[in-house]
Amino acid sequence: MNRTNNFISKIIFIIFLSFVITQIPDISYSVEPDEILNNQNYELRARNISKNIRCVVCQNQSIDESNAPLAKDLRILIRNKIKEGRNDEEIYEFLTDRYGDFILLKPDINLNTFVLWFLPFCFLIFGIGIVIYHNKKSQ
Amino acid sequence: MVASIGNLALWLSLIFSILQIYVSKKGKLKVISVIVNGLLISSLGSFIILMYLHIVSDFSILNVFENSHTTKPLLYKISGVWGNHEGSMLLWILVLTIFNYFIFKLYNKNNSLLISKTLKVQSLITTGFIVFTIFTSNPFKKMIVEQENGLGFNPILQDPALAIHPPLLYIGYVGLSAAFSFSVATLNLNNKENIAWYTYMKPFVLVAWAFLTIGIAIGALWAYYELGWGGWWFWDPVENASFMPWLLATALLHSLIIVEKRKSLQAWVLLLALLAFLLSVIGTFLVRSGILTSVHTFALDPSRGIYILIFTAILGGYSLLLFGKKSKNYFDKNYFNFFSKEGSILINNILMTIVCATVFLGTVYPLIIEAFTNNKISVGEPYFNATVVPIMLPAILVMGVGPLLAWNRNKKSEILKKILPSVLLTGIMSLIIVSIYKSFSLIGTLGVILAFWIISNNIVILIKKRKNFSTGMLVSHLGVGFLILGITASSVWQEEKITKLKTNSSTEINRYSIFFKDINEVVGSNYVALKGNFVVYDKEKKIVTELTPENRYYPVTNIYTTEASIHSNIFRDLYIVLGTGNKSEGWVLKIYHNPLVIWIWIGAIVIFIGGTISIFKNLEKLKKI
Amino acid sequence: MQKKIPIFPLIVFFFILSVFFYLLIVDRNPSELPSNLINKNIPTFEAKSLISGKKFISTKEFKGETILVNFFATWCKPCRDEHDFLKKISDKKKVKIIGINYKDSSKKTVIWLKNLGNPYSDVLVDKKGRIAIEWGVYGIPETFVVNSNGIIKYRHVGAITGKIYKKISLIIDKNE
Repeated sequence: MNRTNNFISKIIFIIFLSFVITQIPDISYSVEPDEILNNQNYELRARNISKNIRCVVCQNQSIDESNAPLAKDLRILIRNKIKEGRNDEEIYEFLTDRYGDFILLKPDINLNTFVLWFLPFCFLIFGIGIVIYHNKKSQ
Repeated sequence: MVASIGNLALWLSLIFSILQIYVSKKGKLKVISVIVNGLLISSLGSFIILMYLHIVSDFSILNVFENSHTTKPLLYKISGVWGNHEGSMLLWILVLTIFNYFIFKLYNKNNSLLISKTLKVQSLITTGFIVFTIFTSNPFKKMIVEQENGLGFNPILQDPALAIHPPLLYIGYVGLSAAFSFSVATLNLNNKENIAWYTYMKPFVLVAWAFLTIGIAIGALWAYYELGWGGWWFWDPVENASFMPWLLATALLHSLIIVEKRKSLQAWVLLLALLAFLLSVIGTFLVRSGILTSVHTFALDPSRGIYILIFTAILGGYSLLLFGKKSKNYFDKNYFNFFSKEGSILINNILMTIVCATVFLGTVYPLIIEAFTNNKISVGEPYFNATVVPIMLPAILVMGVGPLLAWNRNKKSEILKKILPSVLLTGIMSLIIVSIYKSFSLIGTLGVILAFWIISNNIVILIKKRKNFSTGMLVSHLGVGFLILGITASSVWQEEKITKLKTNSSTEINRYSIFFKDINEVVGSNYVALKGNFVVYDKEKKIVTELTPENRYYPVTNIYTTEASIHSNIFRDLYIVLGTGNKSEGWVLKIYHNPLVIWIWIGAIVIFIGGTISIFKNLEKLKKI
Repeated sequence: MQKKIPIFPLIVFFFILSVFFYLLIVDRNPSELPSNLINKNIPTFEAKSLISGKKFISTKEFKGETILVNFFATWCKPCRDEHDFLKKISDKKKVKIIGINYKDSSKKTVIWLKNLGNPYSDVLVDKKGRIAIEWGVYGIPETFVVNSNGIIKYRHVGAITGKIYKKISLIIDKNE
C-alpha cells in the first residue's frame, strides 16, 4: 500500500516537473552580454561604478552582482550616461540625488561618515604610538 | 511523544546547568561530576531527539514542518537540524556543554579554585542560552494541526559544505566561551594563587581559532561555488560576525605565548579573551535579531533580539566591570623592543585588533548613523577593502620575520643575516609569478611578494631545523602564505567573460577554448534542471575537461538556483555559470578564469592542520602541570 | 593613565549596546529606505498618457493642488490590495491621483482598471522604468504625496494600509 502510494506520488511529481520546466521564467545573471558596451574603456568605467552601487532591492549586493530587474535598469542607465559623455562624479551624483547616500557601497566622506573613515586611521596612529613607546622604554 | 521527551531533556539540561552554578564552587567533586555529565547527556539527548524528528519527518513539530520535506535527501534532513534558528540553538547548547565537560576534565587538586570558578561562569553562559532557547526559540513546539508534508528547505542551503559549516563555526564561537570563562575566573582570583591560567586557556583558544578558520573557509568555499559570482567573500554582516572573533582569537593565541614565556601582557590577554567571546555573542545578535538585513539572515524576531541583547549586556557589563576593577593586579611594567619576538607579537596583536575594530566599525556604523540621524547609509565591500587591506600588509610583513627573531633584543645585523636567504627566495619566486601573469598591479605584486615572504621564511626555518620551533606554528604560518597567494591572485588576476553562445560553437578565455556541445533537461531527486555540456580545449586542441553547469528549479520551495561548474587545478579554476537563453539566440554564459584560487582552500586546511598539531602539543603540556 | 584604561571597554560596550537597544524598540523596518526627495521639487519628466494618449509634461501639471503619485502595475499583487484605499482617497479627499504604470502591458492595465475601478485622474506609461528611477522608486507599489507647490512631502513604499491611509489623509489635510 505504502509503496504504491510512494510510486504514484513520484509519478505525479515527475509530471508536475515536466510541466514546470517548459515555463522557466526570466532569470538573469548580473551583467548580461547585451548590456556590454563595445568601447572597452567605457565598459570598464561602467563596471567600476556598478561595483560601488548598492542594489537597493536586494541588500548587500552591488548592482554589478545582482539579478534584480532594477539593478539591470541602473546598469543600463549608467552605461547610457557614460555614452552621453558624463563623468563618474556626475553619475554618482545622479544616483545619490534619487536614492540617497544609501546607494553608495563606498560612502563619500561627509559629516556623517567622517568618523567612519577617520577612526581606522586614528586606531593605526595610536597603535604605532604604542609600539614606539614600548621600543623606547625597553632601551 | 518523542518530542515531549526532547523537551523534557532540554528542561533537564536547564536544571543541571542551574545546579552547576551553585554547586561548582563548594560542592563535592562527585556531585559536580554528576551534574556536568548530566548536563552533557541531557543536552545531547535533546539534540539527538530533534535530529530523529527531522529524519523521520515528524510534521507534528513546527520546526520540522517549517524546515523539512519528505523528498529531502537524508544528509540534508540531518543538517537541516542546525540549518534553522531553533535547531542551531540546540547545537550551540550542545557544544557549550561539551566544552563545559572538557573544562571539568582539567580539574585537579592544584587548580581546583580556578577550574571551579571557570565552571561557574561557563554554567551561567549555558543557562542563559538554554533559557533563551526554551522561552523564545523552542524547537519542540508542536503544530496545531499535523501536516502531510513540510515546507521544505532552501535548496541553496542543500549542500555538503553548508551542512558542516555551522557546527565548525559553533565550535569556534563556543570555544571562545571557555576562554571568556577562564578570563573571568582569573580576574576573580586574588592573584596570590600563582596558577598558570594561560596554560589552561590556550588549548581552548587554539580549538576555537582552528575551527573558526576552517569554518569561515568552508563558508567562503560554499559562496564561491554556489552563488555563481566567481567571488568568495563579500563583507556581509554575517561573514563579518565570524571574521571579527577570528581576528581577536588570532591576537589572543599569539599574546598567550608572551604570557607563557615572559608573564607580560596578562591584563591585555584577559581583556582579549572577554572581547572575543562578547563579539561572538554580539555577532549572533546582529545576525538573528533582524536589526540589519543581510544576504543570509536567519530569523527575524525582535523579542529574541531583546533577550540576546539583555543577556549580552549582563555578560559584558559584569565581565568588563570586573576587568575595570581587578585588571590592575595583572598590569606589568615590561616593555618590548621592536626587534624581538615579543615585539613582533605585540605588533601582530595591535594590528589584528585594529582590523577587528575597523570591521566592527564598518558593520555597525550604518546602525549608529540611523539611530542618531535617521539617515541610511551603506558600508560595503569597497570600504572594507580600502581600510582592511592596508592595515593587513604590515601585519603580514612582520609575520614573516617574527618567528625568526629571538626573545629580548636582537642585533640588527644578525636579523639581516637571518632573513637574507628568504629575501632572495621571495624575490625569485615573486618574479616568476608576476612574469607569468604579466600584470603589474601594485596590490597584486605586493600580495605575491608578501605571500612568498611568509612561505620562504617558513621553508628556511624548516630546512635549517632550528630547535625551539613549534611545528604547529610553522605549518599554520605556511598555510597563511598559501592563503595570501590565493587571495591575491584570484582577486587581482581574475578574468571574466560574459557572452551569449549557441550550441555547437565556442568561445575563448585565457588560453582555453570552450565548446558548447549541447543542453538538456535533467531530473534530480527533488529538482529539475537545464544542464549545459561544455568541452574545454587547450591551445594544443587537447581536451582539458568537460563542464556541466546547471540551472535548477526546486518545485517544493519554488526556488531557482544556478549550479556553477568548476574545473580546478593548482594553477587556476575554470568556472562556468549558465544563464538564460534559447536555441535560436543562444545562451548567456559567465565564464571565469580564476588563478590560484585553490590555494585559498589548501591554505585554510594547512592552517587548520597546524592548529591541530598545536592543540595536541598544548594538551601534553597540560598533563605535565 | 593606566587607571583610565580598565573602564574604557565598558563605556564603548554600553554605548554600542544602547544603539542596538534603541533600534530594536523603535518602530522601524530595516529594509525600508527613506526617500531622498522629501521636501524637494518633483523630478521633471515627460510621459505618454494611457487614457488620452497625449503627452504629459510634469512641469505643467503639478501646480496649485495636492497630488498623489502612485506607481503600480497589474502584475504586482500588493497593488491590487491597495486599490480600494486609492479609490477611497480619490472619492473622499478629492485629490488628483496620478498613476504611473510601471513596466506593464497597456492593454492589461486598461482591462484591470475597468474591472477594479479607476481612482486615477491620469495614468502614465513607464514601459522602461525610467520615470521610476527619476523618483527613486525601488519597489512598487510606491506612493508620493506632492503639495501644491510641487514639493514632495511624503513617500510610502509598499501597499497602502489603513494606518498609512490615515497618515496620508493627515498630510493632505495639512497641505503645507
